[in-house]
Amino acid sequence: MNAAAPEPKANMGQPVPRYDAVAKVAGRATYGSDMPLDNPAYAFLVTSAIARGRINGFDLDDAKRVRGVIDIITHENAPDLKESKLFSNGGYAGTTIQPLKSADIAHDGEIVAVVIAESYEAAREAANRVKVSYTAATPSASFDSPGTTKAAAKGQNAQFKEDPQVGDFAKAFDEAEVKVDAAYETPTQHHNPMELFSTSCVWMGDDLVIYEPSQYVYGLKNGVAEQLGIDADKVRVVNPYVGGGFGSRGSMTPRTAIIAGIAKRLNRPIKLVPTRDQGFTIATYRAETRHAIKLGANRDGKLVALRHEGVEVSSRADPYCVGGTKTTTRLYACPNVDSLVSIVRADRNTPGFMRSPPEVPYMFALESAMDELAVKLDMDPIELRRVNDTTNEPIGGKPYTSRSLMGCFDEAAKAFGWSQRSAAPKSMSDGDWLIGYGCAATCYPTQMAPSAARVRLQRDGRTRVEIAGHEIGTGAYTVIAQTAAERLGVPLEQVAVFIGDSDLPPGPVAGGSNSTASTCSAVMMVCDQIRQRMFKAMMPRQSLTDKAKETVGIGRTPTMQAAKSDRTLDLERAFDALGVGVIEEYGEWKPEGAPPDSFKAMHSGHARLVGGAAMKDKIAYAFGAEFVEVRVNRFTHEIRAPRLVGAFAAGRIMNPRTARSQLMGGLIWGMSSALLEATEIDQRTARYVNDNLADYLVPVSADVPGVEVILLSEQDDHINPAGAKGLGELANVGTNAAICNAIYHATGQRIRKLPVRLENIEV
Amino acid sequence: MRPFSYQRATDPDMAVQALSADAAVDNPLTRATVQPLAGGTTLIDLMKLDVMRPAAIVDINPLAEGWSAIDPGRENLRLGALAKMSDVAAQGEVQRNYPVIANSLKLAASAQLRNMATLGGNVMQRTRCPYFRDVSYENCNKRNPGSGCAAMDGVNRMHAVLGVSDQCIATYPGDFAQALIALDATVEITGRSGTRSMPFAQLHKAPGSTPETETALRSGELISAFVVPGRWPRSVYLKARDRQSYEFALSSAAVALDVQHGAIKDARVALGGVATVPWRSREAEALLKGQTFDDGLAERAAEAAFADAKGRQYNNFKIALGKRVVARALHRAVTMEI
Amino acid sequence: MSGNSSSRLSGFDRRAFMACAAGSALVPMTARAGALDAPAPVAQDPALHVEITLRVNGQDKRLSLDPRTTVLDALREHLKLTGSKKGCDHGQCGACTVLIGERRVVSCLTLALAAEGQEITTIEGLATGDQLHPMQQAFIDNDAFQCGYCTPGQIMSAVACVKEGHASSDADIREYMSGNICRCAAYPNIVAAMKQAAPEITKG
Repeated sequence: MNAAAPEPKANMGQPVPRYDAVAKVAGRATYGSDMPLDNPAYAFLVTSAIARGRINGFDLDDAKRVRGVIDIITHENAPDLKESKLFSNGGYAGTTIQPLKSADIAHDGEIVAVVIAESYEAAREAANRVKVSYTAATPSASFDSPGTTKAAAKGQNAQFKEDPQVGDFAKAFDEAEVKVDAAYETPTQHHNPMELFSTSCVWMGDDLVIYEPSQYVYGLKNGVAEQLGIDADKVRVVNPYVGGGFGSRGSMTPRTAIIAGIAKRLNRPIKLVPTRDQGFTIATYRAETRHAIKLGANRDGKLVALRHEGVEVSSRADPYCVGGTKTTTRLYACPNVDSLVSIVRADRNTPGFMRSPPEVPYMFALESAMDELAVKLDMDPIELRRVNDTTNEPIGGKPYTSRSLMGCFDEAAKAFGWSQRSAAPKSMSDGDWLIGYGCAATCYPTQMAPSAARVRLQRDGRTRVEIAGHEIGTGAYTVIAQTAAERLGVPLEQVAVFIGDSDLPPGPVAGGSNSTASTCSAVMMVCDQIRQRMFKAMMPRQSLTDKAKETVGIGRTPTMQAAKSDRTLDLERAFDALGVGVIEEYGEWKPEGAPPDSFKAMHSGHARLVGGAAMKDKIAYAFGAEFVEVRVNRFTHEIRAPRLVGAFAAGRIMNPRTARSQLMGGLIWGMSSALLEATEIDQRTARYVNDNLADYLVPVSADVPGVEVILLSEQDDHINPAGAKGLGELANVGTNAAICNAIYHATGQRIRKLPVRLENIEV
Repeated sequence: MRPFSYQRATDPDMAVQALSADAAVDNPLTRATVQPLAGGTTLIDLMKLDVMRPAAIVDINPLAEGWSAIDPGRENLRLGALAKMSDVAAQGEVQRNYPVIANSLKLAASAQLRNMATLGGNVMQRTRCPYFRDVSYENCNKRNPGSGCAAMDGVNRMHAVLGVSDQCIATYPGDFAQALIALDATVEITGRSGTRSMPFAQLHKAPGSTPETETALRSGELISAFVVPGRWPRSVYLKARDRQSYEFALSSAAVALDVQHGAIKDARVALGGVATVPWRSREAEALLKGQTFDDGLAERAAEAAFADAKGRQYNNFKIALGKRVVARALHRAVTMEI
Repeated sequence: MSGNSSSRLSGFDRRAFMACAAGSALVPMTARAGALDAPAPVAQDPALHVEITLRVNGQDKRLSLDPRTTVLDALREHLKLTGSKKGCDHGQCGACTVLIGERRVVSCLTLALAAEGQEITTIEGLATGDQLHPMQQAFIDNDAFQCGYCTPGQIMSAVACVKEGHASSDADIREYMSGNICRCAAYPNIVAAMKQAAPEITKG
């Protein structure tokens, strides 16, 4: 065992190496643009240089003269595509702004032409030679631009259902002994997964195969079929490996149907590998947000009033919002709560899900304000959380299915050495560096979605699991294989997993951190169907004892632990009794509380996530506590975060190795969000300026000297059969506030706007 | 990327002759139809962005045999223009006697890019101004003379505060050039009429009213070597940036001191990340020379270095930052063990 | 604001185009004295591919390429060696890192033409048969990747980093591996993997 493979504690699986490890280190893992195509033509996009206005016309003469150019597609000759509704309003699309439909331009970098050529080099040259003439109108870039509109989120976004409220906030705040009233801001950020937003489309007769990095192959398949006006069964999306997602590939972007339509017309496979900068505008992003937080507390630290107002930017076309008040109004015990989320519409591409979409901005505001309150109370920030810890959320009084928040704080504080902290700001230093310690709570809703699975067992124990899940780096192959091996009692090496293909049984979107809970619950259920068949065949006349019910999964869906108690099923005997060569079972699992149309929606590529704060009589979240040491250089004011420590509890940990890695990456993401990442917008033109990996800063190895992840043992039997809470989006939430809280401790300066840059420090 | 013809130069004569074919073109950097290819880290990058559009490329890497020597002599250090950044950064005598050079190279770019990039190409690298690098912005006086400057009132956090004009505020992004200019280096240039030398300080041209002209190189000329006089064991390169590594400087200082019996006999101060060209501050140097070091002196020198600085909306902080970086670099140079 | 402006990818250099249109196609010259006599500013017709031989993972590969093809695109699109990845195409991420000779370079900024005659090693050439290279095994042991997209570049860079002598301390490894971005942020595990593999590599 090494640090990468922590010793499993109670209710944790084995830290086995990744199923896909050899393929990935050998360069044999095939990502979308790695798929070999027969005689492909290459596409290169031309994108808009204005954010608002109209195209007057094109001069394509120079471009067409480039040797090897096959076709140039503009709105004047584009394939006819049907519209798709927004993902969060019941459709598939990440945006309803459909390029190449008309001469209108709705945002910077909108696709205005697609060049198809015999080679990548010719396509790029011709794209460079396409001349577009525009009539530009003055765009509204962001919050403070003239021409924006602002309205409450409720009523315009189907997924934003409520502005949580309880008690009488105004009165309680007015009468509170200690108050915090502060405003916070978070920036525009782009996912920047390492793999570009590539798409390859291959038609075989009327059948279309799409190779594209996607976090939802069923959504993409159905969405593209809808846009093309063809039967969804004619479309297949294949992506066994995805080079990072972080939310950017959860919903359909316009490029896919466009490329598919052109490929059909030209009767030729087409390969599109957009540039890094094009990825900033042809996909989604995390929009900038503003927050006003009011906290009122008694002298003993108990919260009596909490108000969280959030404002988010979206496009003119779409009412996208993340609405994190559903979390921040329920995290702490507080009798009087008020909240409001509004959307500001600007001339921008439509934002979308980015790792912990609601929690990153909203928890930054709340957990910063909590630290400010602790300072006002002269109270240890951990103790402030302890005083306000609760078993039931305050809005509806529903119980948390499990909540290890304070356990996480205590474990992380110990590992971090919080007791060494001298509480006064500016009281710790080391040579040129001022040192600050900070902490914050982190949490993420436990969500599940319907999922199907097919499992085939051979008498030699070889097992094949099929599910249209997604390997975006989370370890999906690995935990699915582990679940099947454990459930069927076959060696892990005997299990083959097939995911990332929409011809497989439908799986959920790899979003909202639901994948492991959903797919593993489905795999468990189907494995139990196999065990049940075998059991019945071997003991046809025997009535089922309670013990047998538990071990073969009849009567109720047992937990993983129960399955462990019986793994001695004799396969040879069972196959002889059944008289078959192969046992294959298909099943569809849905979480408790899933709507009646869940399975229908699952097959048609509509994600129906349930869980979190939206459950009927309970509330389910994973929790953690995050501690950081920041160092601020006295002279240059450079800010570094040499130590990040997080403790997390997320129900059953399927594989401590992959879990640790994901949480580690999350901690670093949070640091990055707090100190490095911001998409700069030219306020005059509403265009993204730093749209590349040299100017949009993400951390490099030198930025992260020390990261420690502590996994707490937690059992929760009230969430899903797998007992797992999602953790992919858990760790990058609290770090944002923890960094600012540590900067306050280092410098005495409270910074409420991210990212914190050296020019914001006044030592 | 536009089409181009490609040829490999086997010797300097062939290279300069091939490169001279566009002698009539006025601006060798932006408009030259023939470009030399060394490491390619700027040229191929900008050709992909359609910013540079040479019709012909002369691959000068075969000249490396004669032009890549690292030669620390008694009187001076001679560096071949085709020496790789990584090799020079790792050279023992350069590290010992010219730490400002070794560190300016080590703190630049990434290991891969330093393996590719040559010294000559490094000093010739183009600005990172995003409006220059994106041809969809028409307003760039450097790219389209007379078209205006989109950066002036745009996103200009990374832009220059020294050497700016009302035409251009694009930052010279390199690190190594600051060490060269501080140490009074000479640049050797090979052209059709043989080899000429000029002070490195004259190589780069501040934007003034012609930001499209970036250097004093004439068409067909190639940098063949740099010569650094003397030895500067007491020298420092300090680079401040958002990210710990693999990032251009927000502000940097190349400082070299000759301290004898507690007094500063000679002082060199150059600034990076804050100016349109490699920037030497003779004002700061004048204040330092002959004085005994203390932090107050360092602050006065830093103040002098930025006396003429002009900030804009998002880069104003660089003036205060730059001063602190200079003062700290001086402090480091004085206190370093040699 | 109104009027014409060029598209993001437009822009037209008339002089370059004139030079291109005026000249006849020129077969690229490779180190021949006679080359000097040819008129220089003449564009290669992109339809006229050049015949070159790249030496990749110990094998000579004869290719007919557009002169603008980078080593990365030559590997991926022409040799079906898709282990090397395109993450930025501008030398900003390191996903395309390969070895040319002993040196690690970004293949996205290296013209295939300029790499002719040199030994190119990619991730596909690292293992010996089924025997993984110690660095590959160390990446598995230390879970030094998640999505895996940057991994081939990380591994090639890591192997070179060790051989350069830049893996003697954690701080050294971090600094000299900072040219390889991992968006999943597996960095601490990559450092651990390199510490595991370094003694084996330097010994071997």
